[in-house]
Amino acid sequence: MFLQQLLNGLTAGAVYALIALGYTMIYGILGLINFAQGEIYMCGAFVTVLLLGTGQVNFFVAFAAGMAAAALLGVALERVAFRPLRGFHPLVPLISAIGASIFLQSLALLLFGPNDRPFPIQFNFSTITIAGLPLSSLQGAILAAALGFMALLVVFVRYTRYGKAIVACALDRDTARLMGVNVDRMVALTFFIGSALSGAAGIMMAIYYNATYPRMGLLPGLKAFSAAILGGVGSIPGAILGGLLLGVAESLGAAYVSSGYKDAIAFAILILVLLFRPQGILKGRGD
Amino acid sequence: MSAYFLHLAILGGIYIILAVSLNLIVGYAGQVSLGHAAFYGIGAYASALTALLWQFPFPLAALSAVLVSGGCGLALGLPTLRLKEDYLAIVTLGFGVIVDMVFLNLELTGGPDGLPGIPPPRILGMSFRPPVLYLLLTLLAVVLTLTLTHRLVHSYHGRALRAIRDHEVTAKVMGINTPAYKVAIFTLAAALAGLAGSLYAHYITFINPESFGLHTSILALCMVVLGGMGSLPGAVVGALALTVLPEMLRQFKAYQDLIYGGLLVALLIWRPEGLLGRGKLSLKFLQRQ
Amino acid sequence: MLTLKSVQAGYGRLTVLKGISLHVRPGEVVTLIGGNGAGKSTTLRAISGLLPPARGVVEFNGADLTRLPPERIVALGLALVPEGRRVFASLSVTANLELGAFHRQDQKQVRRDLEEIRERFPLLKERASQAAGTLSGGEQQILAICRALMSRPRLLMLDEPSMGLAPRMVSRVYQILRELKDEGTTLLLIEQNARAALKLADRGYVLETGRIILDGSAAELRDDPEVQRAYLGKGYREVWE
Repeated sequence: MFLQQLLNGLTAGAVYALIALGYTMIYGILGLINFAQGEIYMCGAFVTVLLLGTGQVNFFVAFAAGMAAAALLGVALERVAFRPLRGFHPLVPLISAIGASIFLQSLALLLFGPNDRPFPIQFNFSTITIAGLPLSSLQGAILAAALGFMALLVVFVRYTRYGKAIVACALDRDTARLMGVNVDRMVALTFFIGSALSGAAGIMMAIYYNATYPRMGLLPGLKAFSAAILGGVGSIPGAILGGLLLGVAESLGAAYVSSGYKDAIAFAILILVLLFRPQGILKGRGD
Repeated sequence: MSAYFLHLAILGGIYIILAVSLNLIVGYAGQVSLGHAAFYGIGAYASALTALLWQFPFPLAALSAVLVSGGCGLALGLPTLRLKEDYLAIVTLGFGVIVDMVFLNLELTGGPDGLPGIPPPRILGMSFRPPVLYLLLTLLAVVLTLTLTHRLVHSYHGRALRAIRDHEVTAKVMGINTPAYKVAIFTLAAALAGLAGSLYAHYITFINPESFGLHTSILALCMVVLGGMGSLPGAVVGALALTVLPEMLRQFKAYQDLIYGGLLVALLIWRPEGLLGRGKLSLKFLQRQ
Repeated sequence: MLTLKSVQAGYGRLTVLKGISLHVRPGEVVTLIGGNGAGKSTTLRAISGLLPPARGVVEFNGADLTRLPPERIVALGLALVPEGRRVFASLSVTANLELGAFHRQDQKQVRRDLEEIRERFPLLKERASQAAGTLSGGEQQILAICRALMSRPRLLMLDEPSMGLAPRMVSRVYQILRELKDEGTTLLLIEQNARAALKLADRGYVLETGRIILDGSAAELRDDPEVQRAYLGKGYREVWE
């Protein structure tokens, strides 16, 4: 029972972590909380589900297309709703992001209707029992994929030219420009990558819960946002750790405390952690 | 005056109080709250429960709303206001979600069904159920709130608050007790939100958690930013604009939220300092170099 | 090589540079001296594109820089070592150096330059994977200079390289600048430490409240009584020594 809950928590947590990475990268480079991240997550899921629904597209192609659509939406959003507001009080782009989030959610509602859509293809996931613990291979696949994406991101940021340039922009924008880094392009790249990861998270959750709907991004978005802050906003390892911790805490809390307060538990833990460690678990901005 | 207009005017008045109180936190203390609706809700439930359970007359029920909300504001503010603004945003967001969950799960608050049958105000034997009279009552509360905040903002303490908003460290160095100020303003803002909640509860006479969730917090924040942070008339205009705008968009039915969200983005791009903002909050020249 | 013609620049309504004209010829070391708030750093910010001039022209090898963003200007061969070093603190020493060469496309040559610079400054090799923020102030200044060199500049601008450094590190930094000069690197150097700057420079300009009030060869400036009084502290020397 405990191990099962732990595994459930890790699965949800890995998905939160993927979204949290987007929040944290964007915050790191722009100091902006992209409230519309949940809608980008939703967009990825919808594109994949719709493509698969045609029955003409291979799963992996649809997955990649969903991520690409989410990435492009992120870039477009930055261009339209955030770039003109750069340099103003941080609350101004935050409200703009909220406006964009309302817009995208209602657009999805108009286009796709309010009902849940099941995932169009069924996987033959088996349940393996290891030491009396039923281990679903679906959970295993989601965990593995999420961790894989995270590893890719870490490698990108640590070891590639553009990854380092993004960190440089987050640390010191003017000096980065003096090195010849085009900040606007790095911001766009950050939105591209962060949004692609959120899109992937959306697709995985659409498979996991077998449901895709316009408001699906709301709660995961808020929780991922909390996870990013929990881990220390701007820190990539922090976002991963924060996401996993939040997922596990929520799952255990729902099981052992009260399932009615499931969503509240995540936030209660967050508040407690922030009170004792205001800078987050792993401190940082841009590493 | 048509009944519909009266209804909008009353709601607008309630939102003015809510927006003005949030503006104190955002515009004057420089803190972000994403959970202001929690205090609004706490006020509404406190007022409704004291009226329903103990037959408190309206003034007393409203007073308890103010006290309970203010007390919750104090309790939340004391440990959290030393956090940086981004973190405070998330703490208040979390607080909002938790309060929402509590309303949903407690038996006392009626769970998702909420509390029906809240008595309309009756003061000195006079019923304020007719909308015209309720509007007067609301306006009275609005005037009270505006006078209070106006005087506060233009007092010695108001200047101290602005100093904190503009540069906290400098304010500290100048001997301003910044934590005390922040907690005080947060408490006052929560109390005023409680007053707005009380007015709402006794007007609609039925409340459930839906009215006090995240989207209401966000709506209040939008009012403040759209009107212009740190501007009292701005908060009033923002509140009225966002009360009327959805109503005007109602004829577009399905497209209502779509246009609403789009307009919000467009308005901000058009006037990032807010409709009545003085543009002083632009950090363009002060940004980290 | 570099020419400024009546450049004006400022922040918001505040005009800091009230019409600066100066030039730097290839192979020269030119210094800009002046007190606090004279506009020295602002001049460099205006040249490097961080603060686009409100009026006037900045030309570099025939190209008009006036409206170019900094990332384009560095690609033309004009590098700035900013005031206060500004190394990327949480990135490794090597990553800092690599970022200096960000605009370059010749990755193989970048590798070779990196090797070369590490041979020359063993410190950068020993601390290669250490976070730049853990270096001492002087070491960070050396890193900042090397980072700028990685862009293969034709003209290197330095904003107060001796600021906040221990005297021993100041002479180390100036020793490096002298080596660069001897190799023929063109330098535009800003200093409050006028004594050190005038010892190194060929020519100099004296800046006061946004205007150039004096210019001449380094020797002329050293002997100018005004300069001596205001910037070299002569006349008070006995008190110090």
